[in-house]
Amino acid sequence: MPPLAQYVFNGLVTGGILALPAVAFSLLWRLLRFPNFAVSTYLTVGAYVALMLNQGLRVPLGLAWLGALVGTGAVALAVDRVAFRPMRERRPFSLAIASIGVAFVLENVVRFIWSNDFRSYDVPVTRALSVVGLRIGRDQLLILGVAVALMALAQALLLRTRLGIAMRATADNPLLAAVKGVPTEKVISVATLGGGALAGGAGVFLGLDASIDPLMGTGLIISVFAAAILGGVGSAPGALFGALIVGIVEEAGTLVVPPTYKTAIGFVIILVVLLVRPTGLAGARA
Amino acid sequence: MIAYLTAIATLVGVRALVTLGLNVQWGLTGLVNLGVVAFFAVGAYTSALLSVTGAPLAAAWPAAIALAALAGAGLAMVALRLREDYLAIVTLGFAEVLRLFLLNEAWLTRGANGVTAIPRPLHARFAGYYDLFYLALVLAAVGLVYLALERLRRSPFGRVLRAIREDETVAAVAGKPVFRFKVQAFALGAGVAGLAGTLFAHYLAYVEPNMFLPQESLFVWLALILGGSGNNRGALLGSAVLLGLLEGSRFLKDVIPFLTGVRLAAAQQIFVGIVLVVLMIRRPEGLLPERPVSD
Repeated sequence: MPPLAQYVFNGLVTGGILALPAVAFSLLWRLLRFPNFAVSTYLTVGAYVALMLNQGLRVPLGLAWLGALVGTGAVALAVDRVAFRPMRERRPFSLAIASIGVAFVLENVVRFIWSNDFRSYDVPVTRALSVVGLRIGRDQLLILGVAVALMALAQALLLRTRLGIAMRATADNPLLAAVKGVPTEKVISVATLGGGALAGGAGVFLGLDASIDPLMGTGLIISVFAAAILGGVGSAPGALFGALIVGIVEEAGTLVVPPTYKTAIGFVIILVVLLVRPTGLAGARA
Repeated sequence: MIAYLTAIATLVGVRALVTLGLNVQWGLTGLVNLGVVAFFAVGAYTSALLSVTGAPLAAAWPAAIALAALAGAGLAMVALRLREDYLAIVTLGFAEVLRLFLLNEAWLTRGANGVTAIPRPLHARFAGYYDLFYLALVLAAVGLVYLALERLRRSPFGRVLRAIREDETVAAVAGKPVFRFKVQAFALGAGVAGLAGTLFAHYLAYVEPNMFLPQESLFVWLALILGGSGNNRGALLGSAVLLGLLEGSRFLKDVIPFLTGVRLAAAQQIFVGIVLVVLMIRRPEGLLPERPVSD
């Protein structure tokens, strides 16, 4: 049996992938004040956009990954325009239900085109590295590195740029921000585009690390929530931190419970956090 | 054709019951339950497992309903302390975890094979026209639950639930124990969904975990919102229209040649999703909007 450290490493990679949609979900929740259930389905969209480019047009996966960022961002933006914008002023629950409808549509569009088959990218097979007894895939290192870099970039954008400041102001108090001249709708559009891109990029990583099928993103929904809630809704570093913990606990947890119960582990994390420390570990205001 | 219509009508009845249950929770009290299918499953499995081990139906059915209601009360006591958006996530997660439990704990639930040969009540006595008998049974259950819930809606208890839905602070200030009322409403709705589950299990004589996928909860929501939430007649109408749409589109396969089974199912679900989103935007009050109660 592999050592515990192997599970922790695999968990870190899973957590790195999870961090991207978790940040997107967390920031959009804070900004728009409803849990957007479609975010985890954006992973599926991204994975299939890259698959289309990689297998259909023979584009190398690196470029296809960029294509997935753009494509998924565009899908997220279109969804926001069509479905969420007309409902901005409604109570959060109406929007949450609409977002489930959106997730359902996207997942089934993918299923309609590509059926339920499991697929994978056309990439050269590389040998895994062996470091102090751990099997470490080159893909896994790349995924972890890019995920952490993207998180750092997102955090820098939020803290340092005018746009990031406008975004945080809108999240804190949309009315006040609008009065002060922040173009609220533009801020929302940028956040949606960026959030969609992050989730789409994560979808390619997930497809590379595991496999590609229409349920791949939706199946992560509870883990994404767990990461966002654990990190404190609205906090980007919190979501990264939360995602890494959720990833590690879910992987290491398979030592104790059958792997089929991974989702249940995420659910237990959600319950514990909500009951013990509803503001999350980072303590952001929800 | 008669057999087909009887089967459809029976399933509409079962769905209508689940929708009525959700209407107590969401329509009347404003409590989000994205995992309504979980309580349907608890009802179906409890009754199925008890009766295949030889328990009489007169014991298995009430036990199933009670366990569904109890599960509802338990989840509510934990989750109703949370805000609405968290509640959505917790109920959704609960349903998924329950499905994993049904799938993996084969010692209790028989796992992916499902429970087979579930006894059908009074099968010998109504041999020959059993499906018609069962339809009558289901319709009687729908009728009774409908009448009971209509009474409840107009009763002082129902008035408190509606007050909580509109503004729970005001209800609390008026001296109502809001939390207790919420738990009761949630348990009642779960119990009604559990009743639907028992009828479903003994109708098909077979249950398996994948009958209770998360999307089934979505269908119930769609039926409720389509018909008009807060309105029991809306819940009935919505269930009938939804199943009509789903069943009707099944015949598309005969008309459009390249539509494979997977594609047809996907197209149906795309359609369901779009209808749900458009309804939420355009007509959140549904086909039959709730009317003020004249007490």
